Amino acid sequence: MIGRRTTLLGAAALALISSVSLAGAKTVCYVTAADSHAYATPANKALEARAKELGIDILSLSQNFDVQTGTEQIGTCIARKVDGIILWPLDPQAYIPGLARAKQANIPAILINSPMGKDAGQFVKSFTGPDVYEEGKLAADSLSKAMNGEGSVVIIAGQAGNGTTIGRVDGFNNQLKELGSKIVVLDTVNADFDQQKALVASRDLITRFGDQIKGVYANDDTMARGFIDAWKEANPGKPTPPIVGINGQKDAFDSIRSGEMYSTIVQSPAEDGKLAIDTMALILDGKEVNARLPIPLTVVTKENVETVQPAF
Amino acid sequence: MRYLAIGLRYRVGIILALTLVFSAIFVPGFVSVVTLSLGLDRGATMGLVAVGLTVLLISGQIDLSGGAVFAVSGIVAIMLQPTLGIGLAAVAGILAGTLAGAINGFLVVRLQINSLVATLASMLVFRSIAHWLTQSQPVSGIDMMFSLAISEVYFEVFTLRSVLFLIAVVLLHLWLTYTVAGRNVFAVGSNAAAAEASGIPSKKIFFWGFVFASTLAGIAGVLQSLSTNTGSPVFGADLTVSVIAAVVVGGTRIEGGRGSALGTLGGVLTIAALTAAMEFQSVPAYVQQVVSGSILILLVVLDRNVRSIPLRASRIGKLPIPTTSR
Repeated sequence: MIGRRTTLLGAAALALISSVSLAGAKTVCYVTAADSHAYATPANKALEARAKELGIDILSLSQNFDVQTGTEQIGTCIARKVDGIILWPLDPQAYIPGLARAKQANIPAILINSPMGKDAGQFVKSFTGPDVYEEGKLAADSLSKAMNGEGSVVIIAGQAGNGTTIGRVDGFNNQLKELGSKIVVLDTVNADFDQQKALVASRDLITRFGDQIKGVYANDDTMARGFIDAWKEANPGKPTPPIVGINGQKDAFDSIRSGEMYSTIVQSPAEDGKLAIDTMALILDGKEVNARLPIPLTVVTKENVETVQPAF
Repeated sequence: MRYLAIGLRYRVGIILALTLVFSAIFVPGFVSVVTLSLGLDRGATMGLVAVGLTVLLISGQIDLSGGAVFAVSGIVAIMLQPTLGIGLAAVAGILAGTLAGAINGFLVVRLQINSLVATLASMLVFRSIAHWLTQSQPVSGIDMMFSLAISEVYFEVFTLRSVLFLIAVVLLHLWLTYTVAGRNVFAVGSNAAAAEASGIPSKKIFFWGFVFASTLAGIAGVLQSLSTNTGSPVFGADLTVSVIAAVVVGGTRIEGGRGSALGTLGGVLTIAALTAAMEFQSVPAYVQQVVSGSILILLVVLDRNVRSIPLRASRIGKLPIPTTSR
């Protein structure tokens, strides 16, 4: 049985390889957010591994979280005459002239992970990735539940102007309104999805608001960790207020088990990366794709922490 | 020895040529008009700021606030569009840069704060102003089509930005080489006290140097914001470092007294070509920075240790060797 499956797989792989060699290997330019980052790295790896399976060459360029670098890298992609562009946008607008040039050069482009503004729609074929606005809403639901719908919270947001940050913050705030919640947001600070920056920002928040902080919403688990560390420094032995993060990474699962965190939302970077390159492969084959392709989201609390797989 | 001296004199040109030759051989698809056009356009943003910084560095001062001014000017140019229209708002953005330069100049010349410290502080302030003006959100302009128009490529090579950069380099070269005011910048940079004693108004040169540098950073920022239709508080975050690197690679001495506009052009093009070549090969960003950093160190070491030998050897017996400038 196993032997047969291997043969089948082998045949499929052979067929794949031969079909690829007939078509000539396609090159896809992947302008990613960063090389080394808790979420971006596994997404990049999954994308590149899947591309290898599909017989697509990846030209990987890292913006290192600098928008300007990214706008220039799109230029590099066009100069390199690639067959497609996968862009991880860090700004809702700034890439538009680059994407327009790509369109002029007949290079199809899609967005991975983070959305761009409406104006960008005409220049990209699809946007694959999590619905970050939905994540904000789910986070609001979760924190409301933890706090019984009242009390004051702080928001530790990601990078300013980043589509993910905007979606996660707006989704959260709007959902609180929608719920008619009595939860008050004391302050929203930007910590750039960085644990160290979140630690520093959280120290300030704890000094300023102290016991007023009855709940915390962090735009990702890395920054939630920063808050937990700051809280432990300031209040040794005192339990943390309910903290809600996003991403579903391993150490967040541990924090949920130990009660330091209330919940997280699993959003798998591997799925994120795979969906993008799969979508690009369809486009390169001349197929039509949906303009919006989301990846699944799961809210994780103490109740289901043992049954759900962490994202990374 | 003589050839060595000539080689070292034009080392930026040689390094640029080597970069281009190696890229052409080892990087498939590198040699093309599109690469040239995009390389120039990419270099132009950095380059406009670098042109301003060249003057300051020659005069012996430094400005770290360029990246922050770049962001603020762009934001002003975008935020004022609804009230002033695109053209006037762009002018206002550039003037915001000029004002920032005047503030830097005031801090250094009037309050006598070391320029490294003064512009470090003003960098933080300007960056905060950028965040405060925009509430940390990028702001969009009123006309997306304008940003496409301003990024238009002419004759398959030039963009508005890259042409402005090249013009700025030529003008700066002429000014530094052929005018008394330009020559005075070198004198002040070599030895401000001696220059002052011989009647050169060093303070005035410093002040206008800061104004010039920030105005150019403003122009670059406004162009960037117009071509992306976005004013963002995080624009230019990594700019200052790469601009200083480009200027120093171009042979301008960070302690002042030496440098040239054409050198800066070479430095900017070298960095742009290196970046493009490494991106073509998918070299990770951190490796790229290691390469740029190594080239920087190599050039500075060459500058210090080798350059002085042949010059001295060739001049011995004819001229006294000035030792104070080192």
